[in-house]
Amino acid sequence: MTKGDKILIFVVIIVNVFILVVINQSLFSYEEKYISIQVNGEEIKTILFSDDLIGKTIPIKTEYGYNLIEIGDGKVRVVEADCPDKLDVKQGYISKVGEVIVCLPNRLVIEIKGVSEETEIDGISR
Amino acid sequence: MKGLRRLIFLALLVAIGLVLSIIEAMMPLPFIAPGAKLGLSNIVILITLVVFSYRDALVTGILKSILFTLATGSVTSLFYSLSGSIFSLMVMYLIYEHFSNVFSLIGVSIFGAMAHNFAQVLVASLMLGNIKIFSYLPVLQLTSIFTGYFVGLTSNYAVKHMQKSIDKIYH
Repeated sequence: MTKGDKILIFVVIIVNVFILVVINQSLFSYEEKYISIQVNGEEIKTILFSDDLIGKTIPIKTEYGYNLIEIGDGKVRVVEADCPDKLDVKQGYISKVGEVIVCLPNRLVIEIKGVSEETEIDGISR
Repeated sequence: MKGLRRLIFLALLVAIGLVLSIIEAMMPLPFIAPGAKLGLSNIVILITLVVFSYRDALVTGILKSILFTLATGSVTSLFYSLSGSIFSLMVMYLIYEHFSNVFSLIGVSIFGAMAHNFAQVLVASLMLGNIKIFSYLPVLQLTSIFTGYFVGLTSNYAVKHMQKSIDKIYH
């Protein structure tokens, strides 16, 4: 292994990690994202983020329990819950597509989903 | 007689490359990234490039790709395989010919692995008509450092011994 090899490995790692970071920030930041509220596996409500919703709270009362959700600027959190451990409240805000808040006792899942054109499978290669 | 021996040697290399490809296809992927391969058959192509010549390595690579398609029966993979091995061989040849004082075989094989990935992602994005596949390239390039390193290391040892036996045959 020569000095050139080591430099090559070093440079490749740096460049690719850099590109990876840039890509994660730009390409996969969905322009449109929405909150999907699911109770017991069923989507009961979807909320598109918008400016006039910032600071609004939404109560979710179901047969399994009560949660209060607060919407922020592109982020969402649970502020109140009647579940015993309050893990969902402690989790704080979620903002990225794919992040979830789960409240198991109340069977509540709050997920941020991205609106993208391709929701179907893009392609299969074999 | 020399020509015949050379032919037999190349045929053996193609066979070894084919077997390595098939073994690789059977192995569960040791990496997190799907699509990342060890590139074991790249060892054979790199050895052929060093011990024989660029032309022989090209023939070996193409034959290996075609035979692999015949063995596994997945025709779409022929395009990926061919484009990857041809482009990677071209890059490896350039590096080996002009920069072998800077890079050892490890560097050459890392370049080859990266070129292989690039060509495959390019073909995949053309075939699927989706440029976003390129966002997957950095992950593959990072794994190609490890695979390229080990391929280069293996080739280094293999070339040392093969050179000896080939010198014996020819002289």
